[in-house]
Parts: sequence; C-alpha cells; structure tokens
Amino acid sequence: MKFQIPIGPQHPALKEPISIRLTVEGEVIKDADLRLGYNHRGVEKLAEEKSWIQNIYLCERICGICSHSHATCFVQGAEKLLEIEPPRRGVYLRYLVSELERIHSHLLWLGVAGHEAGFDTFFMYTWRDREVVMDLLEMISGNRVHYAINTLGGVRRDIDETLRGKILEGLAVLKARSEYYFKIGAAEPTFVARLAGVGPLTKQQAMDYCAVGPMARASGIDRDVRKNDPHDFYNEVEFDVATADSCDVLGRTIVRIKELFESYKICEQILQKLPDGPIAVKAPRRAKPGEVVSRYEAPRGENIHYIVANGSDKPERLKVRAPTLANYPATIEILKHGFIADVPLIFAAIDPCICCAERSVELVDARSGEERTLRFSDLRRMANDRARSLSLQRNVAWPL
Amino acid sequence: MNDEQKIEKLKTFVSPEAVAHPAPHRIFVTVAPSGLVTLVERMKAELDNWYVITISGVDKGESYEILYHFGDTTGSITVRTQIPKADPRLPSICGPIPGAVLYERELQDMFGIAVDNLPDPRPMLMPDDWPAGNFPLRKDWKFDRPAEVIPGGEK
Repeated sequence: MKFQIPIGPQHPALKEPISIRLTVEGEVIKDADLRLGYNHRGVEKLAEEKSWIQNIYLCERICGICSHSHATCFVQGAEKLLEIEPPRRGVYLRYLVSELERIHSHLLWLGVAGHEAGFDTFFMYTWRDREVVMDLLEMISGNRVHYAINTLGGVRRDIDETLRGKILEGLAVLKARSEYYFKIGAAEPTFVARLAGVGPLTKQQAMDYCAVGPMARASGIDRDVRKNDPHDFYNEVEFDVATADSCDVLGRTIVRIKELFESYKICEQILQKLPDGPIAVKAPRRAKPGEVVSRYEAPRGENIHYIVANGSDKPERLKVRAPTLANYPATIEILKHGFIADVPLIFAAIDPCICCAERSVELVDARSGEERTLRFSDLRRMANDRARSLSLQRNVAWPL
Repeated sequence: MNDEQKIEKLKTFVSPEAVAHPAPHRIFVTVAPSGLVTLVERMKAELDNWYVITISGVDKGESYEILYHFGDTTGSITVRTQIPKADPRLPSICGPIPGAVLYERELQDMFGIAVDNLPDPRPMLMPDDWPAGNFPLRKDWKFDRPAEVIPGGEK
C-alpha cells in the first residue's frame, strides 16, 4: 500500500515556500519529489536594470538570514570589474560582519535542530545567546537583519575603541556559553541518540550530488571556499575547516558547532589585527566590459555570483546560486531511504529555513483517496513519540 | 593541484588556445557543445574533489553562451560553450554528474534551451499557467505589468 504525502507549499510565515511530495510505504519513504518556484522573484532579471550600487541592496534582499553573504559575494565581484581595491580596514570590517553573521546563523540552526529533536530547552538557550550576537551586529551596522554595511570599495560604517571592547566582551560571553551548553548537549544521551544515524549521506553521494557547506563537510569532504578559493583576507587569519565523518544529522550538528568556535577565533583575530586607515574608497560609476566569478562561503554553503559587465553602469548579467539549491538533489537522495518521522529533522539539517514555521501536511490514502490534514506540529509530535519509544542507542557518544 | 598543473592537464583534453587563465584560481575553457560531455567525463576522472557549482546562461544576441562552473580544492574551472539562438540545444551532463539536474532544468525554464537526455525534464520554476514560449532571461523578453483592476473601483 503506497501513500503520497504532499508537504507545502505555502505558508505566509515562510520565506522559502517549497513543495515536497513523498511516496511512502508504511513508515518508509520510497520516493521524494520537489517542486520549486513558489517564491521566484526574478532577481536576476531585475539586476540587469539596476546600477552597480543599487544591486548591492537588491542582493542583500535575496536571503533574510545570510543577507550579508549575497551582498559580499556581489561586492567582491563588482570591485574586480570596477578595478578598485578596498582599503584593508574596510575588508577586515566586512569579514567581521561575515563571521558574526555565521555565528548568528549557526546558533539559530542549533536552536531549530534542538526544537525538531524535541529538546526545547536547547532551543531556548541557543536563541537567547543569539540575541548577544544580534545586538553586536546592530551596534556595528545599525540593523539586526539587513546590515547594509557593504558598499563598492569598502564598508559604510567604522567601529571605535568602545565598540571594539564591547564586541570582544560579547564574544567572550558567547564562547563561554557555547562551551557550557555543548557540554550539556553531550550529557544528554536522548539528544545524541535522536540525531545519530538519521539522514545518512555517504561521501560518494555527497560528491555525486554536489552537496555544499555543512552537508558536504559532515560527509567527510573538506569543501570550504574560505580555504579552497579564498579571498585574500582569509589567508591572513588562522582557522581550520570543520569536518565530521559520521555522515548523518549528528555530523551536521557537530560541524556547525565546530564552525562556531572557528568563527569566534576569526573574529578575535580580526579585532586584534584591525588595521588603521580609511574604510572605503570612491568607486567609479561604470565598469569596463568583462566577466568575473565570485565565490563566498555563506553559513549554509557556497555562494556563487557570475557577473558580466558591458561598459555601462549596469551589469549585463548577474547569475546567483544560493547554497540551499545545491543541497536539494542530495536531500532528495537522503529522503528516499528515510522515515516519515525523520523528515522534519532531515530537512532542518540542510538549514533551508522552511521547517522553522508550522506547516500543513495532507495525508492522502492512495487506494481510497481519503484525505486527512496534519499540522507540522503533529508530524513533529509523531516523530518524537516514535523516537521516544525506540530503545535508546546508549552506546552513541558525543564526538566533541 | 595548483593552477599551472590544472592548465597543463586541461591542455591535454582540449586545444591549448581554448584554455584561458584571467585571474588566480580562475580557469576558463572553451569547448564546442558536441565535445562537452566527453570533457566533463575526463575532468571528473582526473581532477580531485571536483563538483559542479552552477550553470549560467548569457544571452549574447545571436547566440547563447552557457557557462558550467566547476569547483575543486584550489579554485574554479569554467567551461564555456556557445549555441546558436536558432536551434538552442544542449547535451545533458547529468550522466557524469547527477547533481547538475536542477541547473539544467533552470536553463530550460529561463532561456528555452532544450537539454537532451535530461533525466527529469519537467519545468522547475515557472507556474503551471505560465504561457508557453515565454523565457524571462532572454534579452528580448520584457515584462508588461497588467493594468491594475480594483474590484468595485471606477469603470
């Protein structure tokens, strides 16, 4: 007996509406299908009608969580086309915001993972800590979400000695709390047991389906643009690429936790080495004809912008690829061998931000055509009930 | 493998003048559409930690330029190919790299390029009631916003 379960596509609270259709036999998913395009806004077409400076703000609005990632990726490329070199202080401040954004995104994700696994205390703790880094970002840029710190040729706001002290204080708080809470996570066997073995993606599959970001790194591939194809800045700071070999949701959690500590390390180095001088140079209005490939490691994986200039004050073509799109083919493969109960967790593990909100799920009986509607919260409750009734995997150890 | 070694290797796959190296970590290879799949297969076999990042299309007036961006441990290689606008047709690279399927479907939707042997050729991004023959990223396609009708407003 086969059932088809459609999940999605629309919910007003979501920024990424997506439709997943699962074919299940009993509890096991036999096939998964994805339907995209519910929120296609035509950014690439629109970019051809906006000037270089307007496009920074357009790119910033591609994503609500990694807004700085798209803006930075675009600015990196546009600066090469406009043949300007931002001053070093500007570059340092730009990547300081990048790393703070990575911290805020990973803390957000950890909370969501805890919530989907039924460990709501973890969710509340990490989201409380996230406020610390959100406040730092607000102090630096004046905004909590769209920082608007980038401009062609540098950044728009400088930091002073007081703010530098405040950021260091905030980082110390975050570091201490992260270490404490992750120790608690390790002491909680139900949490580790819930994540271990869920959503397996082998190294070969991750290669074939071109996974990026924490998805690839949790399958043992050290794929990180900050090391493989870095902007000059990343050669000046020391950090490691976090990887894990467990190839499951536990691995994806570990990778993000390790990356948090790497980001704290990078932020501290930036603040220690912060050079003096101007923060921006004046940019010309027109770019010579040319093309550039700009790559950037966003919190969820690799971002790429391919920009073509035609000599006017507008780009001829702007191609944007966000990391979540690259992870969809791998996610379909994962889902094909999973349980319905694990869908919220697997989907949360690629960090697409579509599980954050409540969704409506319709169960259709393929034989009788009978339908019943389940809310996403019910699905999560069913998932956690199932996990609770399993005999605990006591031997699973927290690998940190 | 650094840029020079990669260029040496690529020159054994295609003619030497087809390989360009405009910036550090950036290599561009030009190839005819008929030689695309063979090149991709050879690159997959001989370059390590190698994957497709995305596929970009550019409307060049008389032709479409398709750029396949590949990444590896030390930078990116872009394979460039041109197809005429009169007969926009491309072979699929999903045989060697199954992860390219979404990007090729996007090309079909946005430029109206027919991709042969695509394992899943359904439309990806456009709504079900999208009129046939409308391909938004073509330069001659313009969006005309329909006149706003306010229910109960002035006739």
